[in-house]
Amino acid sequence: MSADLKFAKTHEWVRSEANGVHTVGISSYAVEALTDLVFMQLPAVGKKFKAGESFGEIESVKAVSDLYAPISGEIVEVNTALPGKLETLGADPYGEGWVVRIKADNPAELDILLDRGAYESLVGSQPH
Amino acid sequence: MGRAVSTLTIWWDTAADGPTNMAADECLAAEAERRDSLLMRFYEWSTTTISLGGFQKIEDARQVGEIRGIPLVRRPSGGGAIVHGSDLTYAAAVPKSHPWGASPQVFYDALHGAMVEALAAHGIDARPYPAAGAIPPPADGAAGSDARSAPDESQFFCFDRRAAGDLVMAGARDGTCSKVMGSAQRRLAGAVLQHGSLLLHSNTGVAGAARHLAVADLVADEQPPERVGLSRVWGQRIATALGGTAREEETSFLSVHHQDISALTARFRDERWTFRR
Repeated sequence: MSADLKFAKTHEWVRSEANGVHTVGISSYAVEALTDLVFMQLPAVGKKFKAGESFGEIESVKAVSDLYAPISGEIVEVNTALPGKLETLGADPYGEGWVVRIKADNPAELDILLDRGAYESLVGSQPH
Repeated sequence: MGRAVSTLTIWWDTAADGPTNMAADECLAAEAERRDSLLMRFYEWSTTTISLGGFQKIEDARQVGEIRGIPLVRRPSGGGAIVHGSDLTYAAAVPKSHPWGASPQVFYDALHGAMVEALAAHGIDARPYPAAGAIPPPADGAAGSDARSAPDESQFFCFDRRAAGDLVMAGARDGTCSKVMGSAQRRLAGAVLQHGSLLLHSNTGVAGAARHLAVADLVADEQPPERVGLSRVWGQRIATALGGTAREEETSFLSVHHQDISALTARFRDERWTFRR
């Protein structure tokens, strides 16, 4: 896990790229907790979401979980290979397992996300 | 560690249609987050109803001739289709900050484990389906007669699938292993909703592939437990596992939360939701 990532309490990570675009994925902790992923539904390019809104869903054998937008903005790219290769989420959650790229409406929203240390404290305090 | 809530609040609801029941379950999750407490409701169905898993394809439902003409509702949770009407149906919701909300398997095992104890109190031997060598198989090697060792998402019906923690029983006559209880979750931002079904009796409203062996079939000459009595013991066992107490509400959840449930029901009646896949 690289140090330049920010995290939402709902377990999505964000990496800032060039031109106000941010890559979003799911933390390894969340992927591990879900286990046995079977299906994923992703948004279309061009859709807009506010921070905290559900932008997709992921199904494991027992559970459907929402994916929440960590920042507000427009979906500019979707990892369309992911639903057909869900094992990538577990194998490389911070690389090939990226989910969407968002053009941020308000980059200041990044400031309220957790840094790596704070996120690790959060998941470390959660029961396993 | 997450903070522990120690009271289980239980509601008993009268029969309602599929969209109302799904809306009530979502409302229960919102209420669990608001109250910061473990909540549960037991409910029935006004008519035989098929609940589809959130990601199941409507085309797969159309391929099953035995359920043609039966009302369909799509659940917010995952898993396979269930024919409701003769089952014990429940919904439970816990704040995500609670230890039981941390991961899918923890809540699943807590409620199903309590049901194993409740059934045992009625003289019925049900066991959690083995998870890769972690859970011992049912007595007499019953699980060995079941060829499936991993979840099989290609099966349309929930009771034809097997996942770790599902409850299975060996038939009293031939020892064949059958799944009698399964559950599924919707993990929301602040709460986890889990609902599921214990197949108490085979549903006489369907036949063929849609009809599954139930507890009443598997206990052979024994009387199967009565729904309310079993649910009550189950609730007590859950409260014990929680380290707290169970409290039964006198009014129904449907009546107390009528307005919120009505607002949520529209989504589950909408064909764009039911036929979304």
